[in-house]
Amino acid sequence: MMSVELIFGPMLLAPFVYFISRGAEWVAKWVALTLFIGLLAISVDMYQALPADGGFLFLGEFLRVPGFDFALTLQVDALSVIMLILTAALSILVVFSSWNEKHQGAYFSLLIFFAGPIFGVFMTTNLLWFFIFWELVLVPMLFLVGYWGGERRVYAIIKYFLYAHFGSVFMFIGFFLIYQQTGHWDFMTVKEAMIVTPALIWWFMFVGFAVEMPLFPFHTWLPDAHVEAPGSISVLLAGILLKMGAYGLIRFVIEMMPVESRHFAIYIVIIGLATTLFAGLLAIYEKHIKKIVAYSSISHMGLVAVAIATVSYDGLSAALYEMIGHAIVISPLFIIAGWLHHKTHTWYVDEMGGIMQKAPYVSAIFVLAGMAALGLPGTMGFVGELTIIVSAIKEFGPWIAVIAIGSLIAAGYVIWAVRRALHAEMSPVVAKSHFDMGGFEFMALVIFAFFIILFGVYPQPIFDMANSAFKMFGGM
Amino acid sequence: MGSLIILIGAGLLVPLFFKGHMIIAKYIAAAAFAAAAFNVYMGNGIDLPYFVLTPDTQLMEIVVLIVLAATMMTFSGFERPLIPQTLFVGAASLAILETNNFLMYIVLFEVIAIISYVLAANIRSKLNAEGAIKMFIAGATASGFILLGFAMFSMITPTFNYSEISVHGNFALVAFGIMLAGIFYKMTVVPMHGWAADTYAQVNHAAAAILSATIKVVIAVATFKAFYLFMAAYPTTTVWLFGFFAIITMTLGNFMALFQKKIAKILSFSSIAHAGYMLLPFAAVASMYSYTGLIYLGIAYVFMQTSVFLILNDLRREAHIKTLEDIKGLYKKSPLHALFFTIQLLSLAGIPLLAGFISKAVAFYAGVDAGLWPLILIAALNSALSLGYYLWVIKHIYFDEPVAGTHAKITMTPGSLVGQLILLAGTIYFGIFAAPVFSTTLGL
Repeated sequence: MMSVELIFGPMLLAPFVYFISRGAEWVAKWVALTLFIGLLAISVDMYQALPADGGFLFLGEFLRVPGFDFALTLQVDALSVIMLILTAALSILVVFSSWNEKHQGAYFSLLIFFAGPIFGVFMTTNLLWFFIFWELVLVPMLFLVGYWGGERRVYAIIKYFLYAHFGSVFMFIGFFLIYQQTGHWDFMTVKEAMIVTPALIWWFMFVGFAVEMPLFPFHTWLPDAHVEAPGSISVLLAGILLKMGAYGLIRFVIEMMPVESRHFAIYIVIIGLATTLFAGLLAIYEKHIKKIVAYSSISHMGLVAVAIATVSYDGLSAALYEMIGHAIVISPLFIIAGWLHHKTHTWYVDEMGGIMQKAPYVSAIFVLAGMAALGLPGTMGFVGELTIIVSAIKEFGPWIAVIAIGSLIAAGYVIWAVRRALHAEMSPVVAKSHFDMGGFEFMALVIFAFFIILFGVYPQPIFDMANSAFKMFGGM
Repeated sequence: MGSLIILIGAGLLVPLFFKGHMIIAKYIAAAAFAAAAFNVYMGNGIDLPYFVLTPDTQLMEIVVLIVLAATMMTFSGFERPLIPQTLFVGAASLAILETNNFLMYIVLFEVIAIISYVLAANIRSKLNAEGAIKMFIAGATASGFILLGFAMFSMITPTFNYSEISVHGNFALVAFGIMLAGIFYKMTVVPMHGWAADTYAQVNHAAAAILSATIKVVIAVATFKAFYLFMAAYPTTTVWLFGFFAIITMTLGNFMALFQKKIAKILSFSSIAHAGYMLLPFAAVASMYSYTGLIYLGIAYVFMQTSVFLILNDLRREAHIKTLEDIKGLYKKSPLHALFFTIQLLSLAGIPLLAGFISKAVAFYAGVDAGLWPLILIAALNSALSLGYYLWVIKHIYFDEPVAGTHAKITMTPGSLVGQLILLAGTIYFGIFAAPVFSTTLGL
């Protein structure tokens, strides 16, 4: 089975693609598409090859450093393979949705480069290599947003970069303290060797992942970064980078330090609740359509944090379902919001209105995804929120049902935004704009819509995956 | 002895070819560096009393010779007086890295200082002269301190052998303190950094590349070896002394760099901040990884810092690029310069898979291992802060449009390309493969 090639292959391929595509720019997107389809196939193949008892599939060990226990150990379990599948699948849709992007050679080369470290993040169990890939992910993002983004793109991306970097400093020190205590860099051996974890390490790691997720009060980078990023890059940010934070929280905080995590669970719950409610209220107040979506995204990640805090089989499965649901639901909203701005040259829902009449199909998908975001039964959002609330009540008692207010707030901002932007009287801005969309972009949206409904009425496949991912927390 | 003779001999020989055939001078110098590096690689040290070649010194020496060779290749016509100086720096570096005698260390320290004065003053212009004079005055003051401290130290020690020097007693403590005051001048430790910020920015950037990278690293490594016994004898004093100076150096260096408009000044302050990082392994001397951390930091830093100053040298020579305003849209004018500059800046900022990250990680780990995690937290936050100004330069290179009326195209000379490729290869190699540094320094 391929292992280290999946990480360094794309990173080496990217410069070649860039130079080849200088003459013929269309080459780059086809290479990217082929690569991501290949990665998806390999990830699915890996899922089939996982050991039946829910343990890790060992893929190899490279670059061993004597005297430091530092080696690129590649192992995957169900959780990481699910993230790999999600990453590869979303990347394909990102290629579709940015089919007509300008400066394609550089753009798609960066996307190809991006695939390397992100696969590394999910494949390695070595703490220091995990950190290496974690940081490296930021570099292609810097250029993708900094060059192709909106007017305040440089401010937004540098803010994001510095936030992520400052957050990861704490995580970095946390990893060092773990190594100092146990003498191991590898997740598996650390878990065995670490008997008591000082609270300090736990908090350092938690802060590192909380910035990336992002959780209140570290969330302020997200609205800026999402608003300034091009629509398809917002998909990468929301669909993959935020998941990276949640994945890290599950793997390196909950799984590695379950005892301490149970001890501090209440703090995660409070932070998660604050995130959900605060971001939801901000979304109601907001008129900027992409910021509404961005706050909705933060609000959902708060739910994921609450689900993770249960440290139970039910809760973690619900969190995994919601993570995938969030990726599939929020992505089309971001793409459509970016597209609307591109067509109408305004960001504000007040100035839109009547879009439903001019672009009915895209608007219908927007409404569908919006309904999923507020948790309408029959969509992915409903299953995610229901399972999270149920598992949280089971763990923390009935008071946690206040989280359902988050759903209520979501109904507020989604329905109000849909009313103002799509249904109200046609505004002059909309009347003079042309709402055409390329075939590939539209196809990406249709695929998202299909999965929103499919997994909404038939969530079993994802829960099957979650079942194998969280066996050690006791399953059905 | 062979390497020294080759390097000094070539240094004396090359000026004969300055008139007309500079390319021959470059070839001779390159051959001398290659021969010396090969000689070191074969394990032939300076075969004299007081000099020993160990595997870790061997690695460091090869790196220094490669970097100096790459530097030399990028020189253009009017920088030819620097070629012999580069060779002499190489020879002196080999000697000071190999010595195990305190007297030799002090003598070679002064030899390097004198070469560096000549190096700084070689190109004749007013600005250059000003920088060189600043450096000379600061350096002379520092030499005074070092000699005073050394004189006191020599009164009490029975031998100058590194492993047998006498370090006990208050008198020794005072002597080492005074010597350190002088050495800190050379290592540009705050508050003895004032000259460096000006000198690096004012002298020819190729000379600044050697001054701020190679010489600083060589001095740091040699000082670590010379002072090891002292540091081991006074663990608490060491932690407080070096920890304090490390923090103020890196913090002040990073903050000052944030406010600079001239790129050379940014690089100078970044160099000062890196001197702060280099003091961390000194503070963490209790850890078995401290020497590994210092060597790794030195190797990574010498590749990155040399490269960025040489690119700036190219840009200033070809297109008079000095400020952030001038560098706007560089990726359109010269994609190669822009790419090399960006990668090396990211490495300086500590972005992974480049030498800058893993070297800092090892040095920081040494600190955590020695139980100094609050110090390391400050250092890591500093490193995150430094990303601010490195990204700011990259922002000007890639995300801004060129200013109208500036050079539309900047070409890269073949020599410069080869030199930069060597330095880039070093940055990437040591960013991915950590095993050579660990296996040589930990004695595995």
